Amino acid sequence: MEFESKDEMELNGEFEKELRQALERRPAPPRLKRRVLEEAARRRALGRRTQVLWWQRIAAAVVLAAMAGGGVLWRQADERRKGELARQQVMTALRITGRALHEVNARLTARERGE
Amino acid sequence: MAGNWQPDFERLVDEHQSMVFSLALRMTSDRGLAEEIAQDVFLELDRHLGRLESPEHALNWLRRVAMSRSADALRRRKVRGVDLWVEIEEMHGAQQTDEKPSPLGARLERLLATLPDAQRAALVLRYQEDLTPDEIASALESPVATVKSNLHRGLKLLRAKATNQLKEFIRGV
Repeated sequence: MEFESKDEMELNGEFEKELRQALERRPAPPRLKRRVLEEAARRRALGRRTQVLWWQRIAAAVVLAAMAGGGVLWRQADERRKGELARQQVMTALRITGRALHEVNARLTARERGE
Repeated sequence: MAGNWQPDFERLVDEHQSMVFSLALRMTSDRGLAEEIAQDVFLELDRHLGRLESPEHALNWLRRVAMSRSADALRRRKVRGVDLWVEIEEMHGAQQTDEKPSPLGARLERLLATLPDAQRAALVLRYQEDLTPDEIASALESPVATVKSNLHRGLKLLRAKATNQLKEFIRGV
């Protein structure tokens, strides 16, 4: 900073010294530290609770998704099992029908030979 | 070495509460508001604790955030249209009894509160925290030239006001 004269500079130096003394740090209110630590602890606890809540939500969503997926898989397996059962029943019916037709065919053949 | 530093929140509060509170107090001239700002700054520090690399980093971070929060509070007060001095006199005019600033100190602080915010911020960081213009520029996130100009103009204005009002304390006047 530039000053007009030596007197001015001295005066400014003196003023800066006074200002430095006037602007010494003030002690913080005694309750400030306690308030800060209590609020920080409260927020941390709240954060932990929120985190637990989120994990619970995620776990519930996973369980629900697993149940829904399991339901779909079980239904698909059940349909396959029923389909297989129906197929076996049709095959049995076809076998019985084939055997009956074979028997009828054998009798017809035997009759034709007898004539 | 900086990477090994483990910040201790309680210790940081202990060490820097006076600095943070004083910065906020000088910027707002309101003890109640300064206390709220200081509390907010330390709670923000608690959230950023993992990102601080060294004690110097923590100190500079606290200075920067304290100044920024104080500036925000001043802006909010201006938006609300509250007259600074009316509020100070009515709500927080009485100094606490544990503090006994000299009459000159108290008057200089009152005069400091009448300076424009940018000049006051530069002067507070220069004379309370003993920072260089470069360090002030970093704390205020302003260009160094602006900080130097604010320091020069602020000091000149404050001295002019002081000369008018504090003649008995200024040598040679």
